[in-house]
Amino acid sequence: MLELVNVTKTFNISGNKEDERTALDHINLQIEPGEFVTIIGGNGSGKSTTLNIVAGSLIPDSGKILLNGRDITKIPEYKRAAYFGRVFQDPMKGTAGDMSVLENMEVAFLRGRNHSPIKWGFKEKDKKFFIEELKRFDLGLEDRLNQKVGVMSGGQRQALTLLMATMRNKPTIKMMRRDYILFSGLPEEEARKEFDSFYDEKKLVLDEKLKTASSKEEKQRYKNEFEETIRNKFDLTKQILLLDEHTAALDPKTAKKVLELTDKIVRENQMTTLMVTHNMKDALTYGDRLIMFHLGHIILDVKGEEKKKLAVDDLLKMFEEADKKAESK
Amino acid sequence: MPYIISVILNILTSGLPCCLLALGIFITYRLLDFADLTAEGSFLIGGSFAIALIRLQVDPFLATLVATIGGALCGYLTSVFYTKLRIPKLLSGIITMTLTASIAMLILGMTKNGSIFTNNVTLSSSDYTIYSVFYYGDPMYRPLIKTGIMLGIVVLVFIVIYFFFGTEYGMAIRATGMNEEMGRAQGINTKRASIIALVVSNALIGLSGAMFCQDLRSCDIKVSSGFLVVGLASILIGESIFGKRSFKNRLISIGLGAIVYFIIITVAIELGFPTQLKNLLYAILIAIALSIPLIKLLISNAKKKKESKQYA
Repeated sequence: MLELVNVTKTFNISGNKEDERTALDHINLQIEPGEFVTIIGGNGSGKSTTLNIVAGSLIPDSGKILLNGRDITKIPEYKRAAYFGRVFQDPMKGTAGDMSVLENMEVAFLRGRNHSPIKWGFKEKDKKFFIEELKRFDLGLEDRLNQKVGVMSGGQRQALTLLMATMRNKPTIKMMRRDYILFSGLPEEEARKEFDSFYDEKKLVLDEKLKTASSKEEKQRYKNEFEETIRNKFDLTKQILLLDEHTAALDPKTAKKVLELTDKIVRENQMTTLMVTHNMKDALTYGDRLIMFHLGHIILDVKGEEKKKLAVDDLLKMFEEADKKAESK
Repeated sequence: MPYIISVILNILTSGLPCCLLALGIFITYRLLDFADLTAEGSFLIGGSFAIALIRLQVDPFLATLVATIGGALCGYLTSVFYTKLRIPKLLSGIITMTLTASIAMLILGMTKNGSIFTNNVTLSSSDYTIYSVFYYGDPMYRPLIKTGIMLGIVVLVFIVIYFFFGTEYGMAIRATGMNEEMGRAQGINTKRASIIALVVSNALIGLSGAMFCQDLRSCDIKVSSGFLVVGLASILIGESIFGKRSFKNRLISIGLGAIVYFIIITVAIELGFPTQLKNLLYAILIAIALSIPLIKLLISNAKKKKESKQYA
């Protein structure tokens, strides 16, 4: 579960008190695992700031961000990246234009891993997986694997970024241990002890089993089972997808395609998703919860049946009312 | 030895060290998108370390290694200015470049009794450089041996660099350089990536300076002036002549670009261009190299016009 507790963020570029602009004013928000949340709001309402704070590109002035109960407020952006996939509004921002489709995917696949200075970056066995992924979501890029991303259209780049943001290599045991110690809100020593004792216990069982195993395949199966047990216990975080108006720069037809792709990927992987959009229709069509921001406050938070009943006109009305209220203050 | 061969060897002995210089500048300027003015500083540090240590009877290979590390330290210093003190890229490089001049004077000064610093050191005939260690047989073949050693080092370094930028970490550095925001979003510690790229780049430039000065058998604190332009021009000439389709292709382009650069300079000087005005020549060359894309565009446009007229 992702939680924002009392998060406040103020921007002040010039340094003068009167130029201060409150982007988020004591925001409290809880997002359940697997929830697909759409976020709307006017300019400067705080919707993008929320995403940036969750991802770690911005640090809140006060308040906390909790991931499965773990405080991640102070963890730098690049370390959080293992858990958050991001797609930006600008199609140029999500991919490296001078690298090929495969290279870009490989970089994304290494997200959250230590980048080895010795191991060859591009692996043949990953290529197969990448091609399968490209085919699965029908991106039409299977034949353009070695093409530089820079020559592709905005829509294609955005679709690729989306795919890159949602795939990740399974974490190794070493990685899980590192991340558990880092992210588990528990005192470091305690987290380490918990992980190691569980690991040792299961390892003993594995060793016993390996002794009785007769064939190579059986041994491999036991090893896989062992890894799976560890993963089930410690890799609690399914990835969270952060979409920041990711279709705003595309033409309507392409935007629709990318949105449908988004929906498909999110549903298939059951990803927790935060999608900022300025298109109210999209916000109503997609997702199972809708949040509306206004001047740093959440003024609407609906899910399920209640959300289905809403129409664009209702949302517009709420916008206007909120504006009037703000003005009368 | 025929005149033409000695000219070719001359071109290669000046061009080959500059291949490494150009490669170093390529890493920062092209891969990291960091206009790094440290280059001339680390070139000087490399040259002065190598010459001073050899003068002090240190093994030439060890001296060259220390020179390379000296260059790497210059890169590290710039990266500290940039990442830790948040000084803009251009100024970080300028600060390092400025302070290396004084450090080079101190290093060169170590070789002279009674003075703390000096501007100029020349090796004596009994000092061995990484080239002269291998001088056997007829002195006529010395330039050939020298060129061979240089070529060996350059090829080796290019292969190592090619593989380094193909590794997981190398790929992360390339992605960071192209798109820092993407780098962070993909879990790359972009600060550390820039530090490592700057260190590697300036280590290469330090090595280049060490090779160049050992060829001259002397080091002067003005030796590095103008070399930033040489490196940049090599990259631009190489890319516009030999292309930049893939990473491998780009590396080869840079290596050949440096050689072509020195061919042009040598030809110009052989044709009677006054050597005192060398910098003017450098500037003209870089301006031409930079405008090649425009010239290519004009030519292709002219061709299209011609074709469309034919069909009209």
